[in-house]
Amino acid sequence: MNENLFSSFITPTMMGLPIVILIIMFPTLLFPTPTRLINNRLVSAQQWLAQLILKQMMMMHSPKGRTWALMLISLIMFIGSTNLLGLLPHSFTPTTQLSMNLGMAIPLWAGAVITGFRYKTKASLAHFLPQGTPVPLIPMLVIIETISLFIQPMALAVRLTANITAGHLLMHLIGGAALALISISPTTALITFIILILLTILEFAVALIQAYVFTLLVSLYLHDNT
Amino acid sequence: MPQLDTSTWLVTIIAMILMLFILIQLKFHKYSYPLSPAPKTFKSTSFPTPWETKWTKIYSPLLLPQQ
Repeated sequence: MNENLFSSFITPTMMGLPIVILIIMFPTLLFPTPTRLINNRLVSAQQWLAQLILKQMMMMHSPKGRTWALMLISLIMFIGSTNLLGLLPHSFTPTTQLSMNLGMAIPLWAGAVITGFRYKTKASLAHFLPQGTPVPLIPMLVIIETISLFIQPMALAVRLTANITAGHLLMHLIGGAALALISISPTTALITFIILILLTILEFAVALIQAYVFTLLVSLYLHDNT
Repeated sequence: MPQLDTSTWLVTIIAMILMLFILIQLKFHKYSYPLSPAPKTFKSTSFPTPWETKWTKIYSPLLLPQQ
């Protein structure tokens, strides 16, 4: 049962060829490149959405932080589209892989922190000691702040992985339960099916929210450091 | 848990790096966010000749000698 349940999270390879590469690159096809001054509806809608997100996200940053605009918009679109595509039946969601999320979180977090160290060394070191701490508590608090700094990328990666994986697992389990209950008691199966529908709606929201949270936190770390 | 099987980690990370840092950014850097169309004031590049900067009254039609 364990083997069956987690089988959708195994990185797909077909006869030894890693087709996970194709699956990760698939969302690029859904964002056509704009080539005209006035584009078709799909491209215009995507440009409008990108502009909306950019204005909202980049408003709080200094000009130095705004150089990250392309990176952040790519991040949120990539995670959002990958999560939404993963809600299709029998599809593989790359964001369930801890490897990928660590690979996204660690470089982005490290980039923000190193930028802070290079340009505002004193201010970024000052983050390790909140204002107004009593003197005897200082060593312990520096240790705690250091730990909380280094846990940021891990938390980013594990949060995304765990949320998406848990959602997919719940859908598998409840769907399986609904199917098994049809022959035993159709009313319970109907209730379970309604739970499944509600869960799917939740998963749509979670897919988008997780993308947003990831990007927002990266943006926050950037704000602290620019 | 299959996510902890590190044999596939290298492929996944490289594919993601390729995708996120190169492909998707190539798509999004072509997006343009034009402002809504509005009339633009422009400075004229031709300058009026000295006798045209001042409207001389004698050339107004009603002041010409009546025919």
